[in-house]
Amino acid sequence: MEMFIDFFSNTGFALADYRNVIMLCIGALFIYLGIARHYEPLLLVPIGFGILLGNIPVFKGLGLSIYEPNSVLHYLYFGVTQGIYPPLIFMGIGAMTDFSTLLARPVLMLLGAAAQTGIFLTFLGALALGFAPNEAASIGIIGGADGPTAIFLTAKLAKNLIGPIAVAAYSYMALVPVIQPPIMRLLTTRKERLIKMEEPRQVSKRERLIFPIIAVLLCCYIAPAALPLLGLLFMGNLLKEAVVTERLAQAARTSVIDTVTILLGMTVGASTQADVFLTGKSIGIFVLGALSFCVATASGLIFAKIMNLFLKQKINPLLGAAGVSAVPDSARVVQMVGQAEDPTNFLLMHAMAPNVSGVIGSAVGAGILWSFLVG
Amino acid sequence: MTGIDAILYHNGFGMAAVGITIVFTALVVLSLVISQLHKLLIIWDDRETYINKACRFFSVLKPKGGLVPKKAKKESKAAYVINIKESSRQFSILIQSIGEPFSLPELIRIAESLGIERPYSTVSHLIAGNLIIPDQKGFFLWNHEAYNSLSRRS
Repeated sequence: MEMFIDFFSNTGFALADYRNVIMLCIGALFIYLGIARHYEPLLLVPIGFGILLGNIPVFKGLGLSIYEPNSVLHYLYFGVTQGIYPPLIFMGIGAMTDFSTLLARPVLMLLGAAAQTGIFLTFLGALALGFAPNEAASIGIIGGADGPTAIFLTAKLAKNLIGPIAVAAYSYMALVPVIQPPIMRLLTTRKERLIKMEEPRQVSKRERLIFPIIAVLLCCYIAPAALPLLGLLFMGNLLKEAVVTERLAQAARTSVIDTVTILLGMTVGASTQADVFLTGKSIGIFVLGALSFCVATASGLIFAKIMNLFLKQKINPLLGAAGVSAVPDSARVVQMVGQAEDPTNFLLMHAMAPNVSGVIGSAVGAGILWSFLVG
Repeated sequence: MTGIDAILYHNGFGMAAVGITIVFTALVVLSLVISQLHKLLIIWDDRETYINKACRFFSVLKPKGGLVPKKAKKESKAAYVINIKESSRQFSILIQSIGEPFSLPELIRIAESLGIERPYSTVSHLIAGNLIIPDQKGFFLWNHEAYNSLSRRS
């Protein structure tokens, strides 16, 4: 009997408290949203399952918890804490992305820059709320709406916040179709939403080939700290455009990115152990993250309206909302909101330009914050 | 420390202002460069003409030897026309064998497998020359009229 009681006292049922139950519910919610609602299932399902894994209370010292140095999960988590996984994901994104629309209409790139205002305004907000500068920067980057970038910067500046920031970033990315449309409708008139974009020009293969080389050199010479992310993003894109490296591009956009996404999602989820995750700071991060996302969306929209004051050929200001780099979700939302007003208005292709420039912008923003605050 | 004091203490306003400025600078510079890229490529393709113009302008280097004179440029254009005719003939036969409508990747793949030189640029020229036209459903068609008129021009 004594052995039985001893065994029971070491089971998850005996070790769990109400916080574990809350986290298990959050994990289950993520899995539900991913599978039943199709909200970013490739991210939410591994993260949700990781949350379940991380919140099974385990006996300390057995090397089971993600925070114990000799555990399997800890080794897999190494790729997150050292910022290895995010650049690999960027390589896969590069190998999937077609920059033609951006090359056809480079002016739309400014919308991607404008949306990054959200990062820096939230950084100020987090400082004002009493967060340390490195934590404030990691919170601000949630506004970039780019999970890998948020994880990369947090891994460099505030390792203790990786769990809440990653979960917040991916949650808001998954909720793009819920968060963005009301802001888009609030900040644009019906007349503006009805604007049709002119057909982009044909982009030659040579332009697409040269672009990743020029882009990586220019961006990384201006902001060298963006090198790990942008370097791999543009290398992936060069592999795609070169055609002769199709096998490598295929590997980058399928097996590499899929493997890394599983490992990243699962370990980030497992890092949200109740005692680490359910703190006042996490609530602050979620509130500021949502604010950051809204400010980023609004900044893009307002900047598009300002651009229209100077442009002969007006652009549809909804494209500004795609400046946040949730690729391709925010571009899809632009298409959806545009088509709600006029079913013959196709904005998706045009929205991809600010969307991919948002990826570049948020990586540059992360690099800048890292270089400001490192050490 | 919280509020404005905390922002000022950590030089938050400075960092935010410099940060957003750098992001804008990077993307503005990149957009300016890529907006000129296709023009630079056109100049590069026609570089002999520009070199000759520059030579004449400075009157330092007389165009001879390595530099291609205007006549040669005309010859290269003629060669291009011959090439496009030859290419269109090859692709006409190829498209007949694969049937219409066809997809461009499939056409290029078959052309590559048959050892046709530079299939990407050739297909690009054929599209620019209106010999390959989209069917508006994601596939492409061979423009027989344009091909016949090109053949007659020989």
